[in-house]
Amino acid sequence: MAGIIGYGVYIPRYRIEQKETQIPWSSWAGGEKAVCGADEDVVTMAAEATENAIKHAAIDPAQIDTIYLGTASSPYIEGHLLSPIFAEILGLPPEVRAVDYSGSLNALAMALLGCLDAIEAKNTKCGLVIGTENRMTAPGTESDASSGAGAVTMVIGTEDTIADFEAVHTYSTLFIDRWEAAQDGWVSNYFDYRFDREYGYKKHITGASKGLMQKVDKKGQDFTYVVFQQPDDRSPNLPIKELGIQAEQLAPSIASTLGDLGSCSAFVSLAGVLDKAKPGERILLATYGSGGSNAMSITVNKAIDKKRKRIVPLEKYAAQKDYITYVSYLKLREMIKRAPY
Amino acid sequence: MPGAPAPASPVYWRLNTGVYRLIGMKCNDCGHISYPVKKICSECGSLNVEEYKLSKRGTVHTYCVQWAPPPGFEAPIVPIIVDMDGGGRYQGLLTEVASPEAVKIGDKVEMVLRKVMTDRGLNVYGYKFRLVEEE
Amino acid sequence: MRGKVAVIGAGKIRFGELFEMSLGDMVEQAYLNCLNSVDKGIAPKEIKAAWFGHWSGGFIGQGAMCGASLASFIGNLEIPVTRVENGCPTGGDAFRHACLGVASGVYDVALALGAEKMRDKPAAESLGAAGGGGGSEMGLHPSWMLGMGGPGIQALHATRQMHELGYTMENFARVAVKNHHNGTLCPYAHYQFEVTIERVLGSYIVCWPLHLLDCCPQTDGAAALIVCRADLAKKYTDKPVYVLGSNIGIDHKNLWDRNSFVEQLSTVRAARGAYEMAGIKPSDVDFAELHDCFTNTELMNIEDVGFARKGEAAGMLMNGEFDIDGRLPINPSGGLKAHGHPIGATGVGQLCELFWQLREEADKRQVKLKNGIGTQHNVGGDAFGVSAYNILSRSI
Repeated sequence: MAGIIGYGVYIPRYRIEQKETQIPWSSWAGGEKAVCGADEDVVTMAAEATENAIKHAAIDPAQIDTIYLGTASSPYIEGHLLSPIFAEILGLPPEVRAVDYSGSLNALAMALLGCLDAIEAKNTKCGLVIGTENRMTAPGTESDASSGAGAVTMVIGTEDTIADFEAVHTYSTLFIDRWEAAQDGWVSNYFDYRFDREYGYKKHITGASKGLMQKVDKKGQDFTYVVFQQPDDRSPNLPIKELGIQAEQLAPSIASTLGDLGSCSAFVSLAGVLDKAKPGERILLATYGSGGSNAMSITVNKAIDKKRKRIVPLEKYAAQKDYITYVSYLKLREMIKRAPY
Repeated sequence: MPGAPAPASPVYWRLNTGVYRLIGMKCNDCGHISYPVKKICSECGSLNVEEYKLSKRGTVHTYCVQWAPPPGFEAPIVPIIVDMDGGGRYQGLLTEVASPEAVKIGDKVEMVLRKVMTDRGLNVYGYKFRLVEEE
Repeated sequence: MRGKVAVIGAGKIRFGELFEMSLGDMVEQAYLNCLNSVDKGIAPKEIKAAWFGHWSGGFIGQGAMCGASLASFIGNLEIPVTRVENGCPTGGDAFRHACLGVASGVYDVALALGAEKMRDKPAAESLGAAGGGGGSEMGLHPSWMLGMGGPGIQALHATRQMHELGYTMENFARVAVKNHHNGTLCPYAHYQFEVTIERVLGSYIVCWPLHLLDCCPQTDGAAALIVCRADLAKKYTDKPVYVLGSNIGIDHKNLWDRNSFVEQLSTVRAARGAYEMAGIKPSDVDFAELHDCFTNTELMNIEDVGFARKGEAAGMLMNGEFDIDGRLPINPSGGLKAHGHPIGATGVGQLCELFWQLREEADKRQVKLKNGIGTQHNVGGDAFGVSAYNILSRSI
C-alpha cells in the first residue's frame, strides 16, 4: 500500500480554557483548546499545514495529481470550493482531481482512503490529503467547550515514504450521537455519555480495530503506538481492554490542550507521534464519528530519520499560546456581532 | 462591502493567479519588479517584461497602525510595505500584531494565507505577513 | 504659459461643516463672491468656458457630477463646461485647465470653480470613502488595499520620515500649531482655534504615528477663480495676478511601486516642471500654500518642492522659518489642517489665498512680499501619484 511521504500540522496560537466557555451555563469542562484568530479559518490553517507537509516531503508540488480535502466545517454546503484553492496556490493544472470530503468527523479518514484507493487503482501517483477543522458550535453546548481548531496535511504516495499503510478497515452502522442540521448552523450532541461512548465510540472503534488486526494478523501488544479519536481525554481508554492494548501505548492527549479537533483529531495526534517515532515501529490509528470508524495500521520507515530535520513539530505549535477572554472568543466565533446600523 | 464587486466577480477571478500564486512581473530593461502582471513596465514603459514569482519573505520597510479601518473591520489593523527577498516591494497587512511597539523597520516577515474579508457568505483569502521568529 | 494668463477674480465661502448648504448652494455662493470680486466688474456672459473641480463622483452620496451640473448651478448654459477630477489635485488641475483654455487662445475668459460636499455622511464614512473602499472597486485585491486611504498612506511615510530623517511626532505637531494659528487669522478657515504640541500629541491616534489633530478635517466648501488673457487683464482690474507656471506631476498609482517613502515624486515632478515653465528657482518664491492633508505631509512637501533639502524641513520649522512672519511662510491661510479640505475646492481655495496675498489684501495674515511670487501645491490621487503645482506672481 502507499504511505506518507511527508506531513505537516498547524494549530492556531490562541487558547481559551474550556471551562471559560461554560461558566455562564455550567461548569464541568476541563483543559483548554485552540481557537482561530480573526483572520484564520479552515483554509488558512490548511495552507500552513500544507506548506509544512510539502517542505517535509521534499517534493516538487508539480508532482501532485490529486487533492482530497476532508473537513466537518466547510463554510459551504454546496460547492467544493476549498480544495481548488490549494490547486491554485500550488499552480496545479485543471486536470488535477480536487475534491472536498465534508460533513463528517470521518471526512479526513475518508479522504485518505479515497487517495489510497486511487493510488492502488493507479489513477493517481501522488496525492495531497488535507484535513482542517474549525467547527461552528453554539454557546452553552458541550461541543462549544471542547471543539478546537487545527489542520494536518499528508503527502501520500509510494516513493520515499517515511511510513506506510499496511491495511485499512472500516466499520460503520446507522448511529447518531453528533450532527449539524443544515438549518441549524451549530453542532448538536445527543450527549448521553454512557450510551454514546459505549454504543457509539467504543463499539465502532473496537469493531474497526479488530477487523484491522485480523487483516494484518497482529495483536494489540504489537502496536508501539495507538492513536484513537480524541473527543476528550477519557474516551480512548474505553476500547483498549477488549483490544489487548495497554494505556501506555495510547498517544499523548491533545483533547485537553488543543481541544476536540474533529476529523483531524486522530491525524494531528498521529503527526505528534510520528515527530518522535522510530523506524520499524507500528501504529494503530482509528477515527470515530457518528456511527463510523476507520482503522489503519501504519509502519514507520528508515526515511523518517532522514527527513526529520524538516518537520515543524506539533509541540512547537502546541507551545505557542495566547489566552483570550470569553468575550473575545464570542466575537471571534461570531456568536456576538456588532449591529449593522 | 455594499456596492463593491462580490467575491464571485471577474475582478477576483482575474486576480487569482496574482494573489494565490504570487505571479508578478519583472522588467528586463530597468529591473523593476511589481504585481499584478502587466505587459508594459509602469516604471519605464518598456515592453521587455516577463512573469516573475514573488518571494514569500522579506523585511519591513515601513508600517503604520490603523485605528480607523474600513467599516466591517475591527481595529487595529497594521498595513506594511515589505522589501521582498530578491527584489520588489509588497503591500499588505501584518497579522498577529496590535501595537506599534511590536514591529520595527527591518524586521523579517513571511507571508501567511489569511482570510481577508467575507462578503455574501464567500470568504476572500490573500497573503498577510507575520513576523518571523528568530531561531 | 508664462505671460499669457492672468487671474482677475477670486471668490470663496467659509469652509466648514455647512450642513445647511447643499453642493449647489455652495457653488452659487462661491461663484457670486468671485464675480463680485472683479474690481472693475465683469458680466457673467463674458465667461466663455468653465472647468468644474469636483472629486467625489458618487462616493459620498452626491452622484457623479458633469459639466451640466456646474452650468445649471451658475445659470450659464451657453458655454462648454467640463468636470475635472484628478484626486486631491482636482481643484489645482481645474485651474490648470482654465489657464490652458486661455493660453491656447481659444477662450478670452474662463472660470475655474471647485466644490465638495463631504459632510452629508458621517466623517468616518467620507474618510473611508477617500480611501478607495476595499480595493476591488479599483480592480485591486483587498489583501493589498485594506487600511489604505489618506491617513494610512501618509502614516506609512511618517514612519519612514521618523526612521530615515530623524523626524519626531513633535515636529509633525508643530505644523498643526503653525497652521491652526494662521487659521485664526483667516475668516474663511474651517477651524479657528489655536492648538499646542501637547494637545496634538494628546489627541487620539487615528493611524500611528498620526494623531487626530495631525489630520485635516472633513470639510464642505467651494471656491472660484476667473482667468483671462494677460493682455486683457487691465480691463478688469489694475492689480491682476499672473500665472507663471502650471503643471501636473505623476508617480506610480500603486504604493508598492514607489521608490521612496520620504519623498513624493509626483510633487517633485510637478514643481520642477512648473519652475521651468516660469523660469524661476524655488528660492525666488516668497510664500506657498502646500498640501498639508497631514502634518508630516507638509514637511515632505517643503522638501519635494525645493524649499529645503531632504531632512532639513523639520529643523527650519522648529526655528519658525515657515511661520507667518518667518522667512518663507507656508500655508498662511491655515492650510488644509485648519482651513479645511473640501477636496475639489481645496486647490482653488489655495489659489484664492495666493491672489489676495499677492494683491496685499490678506489683512491680519498678510505675508511680506519680496519678489511677489507665491506657489500653490496639491498632492493626492491613487497612492498620492498626482500633484498639481501652480506659480502666481504680481508681475508678468
